[in-house]
Amino acid sequence: MAAQVELFLQTLISGFLLGGLYALIGLGMALIMGVMRIINLAHGDLMMVAMYVAYWLFTLFHIDPYLSVFVATPLLFFLGVGLQKFLINPVMKVESILPHNQVILTVGIGMILANLATVFFTSNYRSTPVSYASKAWYLTDFWKNAPIELSLSAPWSLSFLAAVIITVALWFFLTKTDTGKSIRATAQDIDAALLMGVNVGVMRAVTFGIGAALVGGAGCLFIPIYYLYPSLGKQFTNVGFVITVLGGMGSTEGAIIGGVILGIFESMTATYLGMGWAPVGRFLIFVAALVFLPGGVASILRKQRLGK
Amino acid sequence: MKKMSVIFAVSFLAAFFAGSLFAQEVKFAIPLPLTGTNAKFGEIEKRSYEIAMEEINAKGGVKGKKIVLVFEDSQGKPEVARSIAEKLIDVKKQPVIFGEYSSSCSKAIAAVAEERKTPYLVVTGATDDITQQNYKYVFRLNPTNAYYASGLISFFKEVVKPMSIAILYESSDFGTSGAEDMVKQAEKFPMKVLTKEQYEKGAVDFKPILSKVKSEKPDVIYMVSYVMDASLLMRQIKELRIDAKLYAGGAAGFAIPEFIQSAKEAAEYVVTATLWSPQVVYPGAKEFAEKYKKLYQDYPSYHGAEAYSALYIIKDVLTRAKSWTPDGIRVAMKGTNMVTAFGPIRFEDKAGYTNQNFMDTLVLQVINGQFETIWPQKYATKKYVYPIPRWRDRK
Repeated sequence: MAAQVELFLQTLISGFLLGGLYALIGLGMALIMGVMRIINLAHGDLMMVAMYVAYWLFTLFHIDPYLSVFVATPLLFFLGVGLQKFLINPVMKVESILPHNQVILTVGIGMILANLATVFFTSNYRSTPVSYASKAWYLTDFWKNAPIELSLSAPWSLSFLAAVIITVALWFFLTKTDTGKSIRATAQDIDAALLMGVNVGVMRAVTFGIGAALVGGAGCLFIPIYYLYPSLGKQFTNVGFVITVLGGMGSTEGAIIGGVILGIFESMTATYLGMGWAPVGRFLIFVAALVFLPGGVASILRKQRLGK
Repeated sequence: MKKMSVIFAVSFLAAFFAGSLFAQEVKFAIPLPLTGTNAKFGEIEKRSYEIAMEEINAKGGVKGKKIVLVFEDSQGKPEVARSIAEKLIDVKKQPVIFGEYSSSCSKAIAAVAEERKTPYLVVTGATDDITQQNYKYVFRLNPTNAYYASGLISFFKEVVKPMSIAILYESSDFGTSGAEDMVKQAEKFPMKVLTKEQYEKGAVDFKPILSKVKSEKPDVIYMVSYVMDASLLMRQIKELRIDAKLYAGGAAGFAIPEFIQSAKEAAEYVVTATLWSPQVVYPGAKEFAEKYKKLYQDYPSYHGAEAYSALYIIKDVLTRAKSWTPDGIRVAMKGTNMVTAFGPIRFEDKAGYTNQNFMDTLVLQVINGQFETIWPQKYATKKYVYPIPRWRDRK
């Protein structure tokens, strides 16, 4: 019995920590989706770029990956703004048979980033072996006669905490600052925002920049607990995509909840069904969200708010 | 006119002196995947063949003839490999074929070689059935898949004596076949298989599955993983303090320097099966590894050692062969008995295999942050550490 409880709680802890990090990846994608109405399929590749920044800072200057958040996020912000301004915006203006050719463009950007990384850094696997990589806290350290043993990984907790801080900072930015309010206005209704004097073009660029910066931050938080290679982006683009759909196509609150749900769901399938099922589970949740909850988590939140 | 004849004479003399070092040359074309997904291994092998070629030529070549190698790109596709083999045998009349990386390509060439009665030396293809078809002209220097973990099994039997095992493996051909073999071995042992779980390559979090393994308390945790998954697994095992009697890896990700670099103290005392490592005691192994590292900044994998040794086998065979015809070479190849940098080579017919080289596979253990050969004991560079300390008792 104790063993089963221990297994369940340990899985829950793992899922929650993973979910927090997933949420940060999904958040940037949802923000871009909300404002620009496009899915950014280069999202994971932007994360890869940030991870290389963190990797090289660590390898060449021995800067801790957590500190490189402060370098990588601004860098990714400007990269994002640049991409939006010089590549995506011009394409948005072009009339074409395909309604969403800017989505196709993001696929292309992702491919180019991944291939450039392969050319410059080779396809070798890399990691930042930090000294605290496998440090953890144990329940029995605090409570000597605990009937069960639980562990909490130090780098995972640190990454989770940093993800929460970044998310809270984003919330402040979106609700308390002028620029943040303009971004939300653009997301709610582009025409009304235009009439209210919001510079929609600038807001788009800023949003793409923030989205890139968020996933860049996620990259720096991921590298101490994971590793790095040029084509890792796809996997995390998928995660972000599922979370965005689950959260409700562009809702930031929805993305946070969606991320945590996905993290816990994946961990539970791994423990009770087998780890080979985790990708299947992810896909199932994606389809289920589309069929049964087309508005995502956000639609439930909205209903509750209206109910009050 | 006079001027012309002078030029002729000079160029003739030049040609004569250039050629005087080697009266003749003998040319071999080697099929290898130089592009495509296996290109990385093709490259390692190509470099290793070239190192061997230079060494042999520097020492006078084979029977006074200079070896010249050219490489044919098979792209890792069996149908391309097949047509290369046909061309080499039918058009170029090459009396012996060697090379190729993957099992599927090696298999394709083996069929052509047997049909055309031309000896073929398999260098790295590991699928069992290549040498189980009673082919008279196909030889294989590397141990087959089923024997990869044989060293590890004998270490289990004589030292660890485990009662139960948990198997984690990557959901690829390599991972699946490694896990299946271990299950078969475990049945013979007998040792109880508590869990056999596969995972998708690139997984971030192994803790759920590892928590499950922890609750089952296996004696041995056996993992078949590539590159970085190996170090993530060990780091998370340390984190969860899963105290098994032994952590064992099935080569690949556990037997490369990156494993120790990335897993650090979590890698300590982990054992892994391997075919070869730069530390092995076979003559020439260390020299080859160092030479390779000096040229290409990295130690070669066992594929490199196999390719390097393959050319030495060919040289040995050609030296002993009565005639350089396919049949002359086949007879000489059958009589091979030599020790290469990769290990001892003898082509035997036993246990359902024909012309297969059987050799001891090695067990490495990470001791003080270094790979040490610990098993079989006659090749050991250090005594194994067993029993290993529990996680909470480590510093």
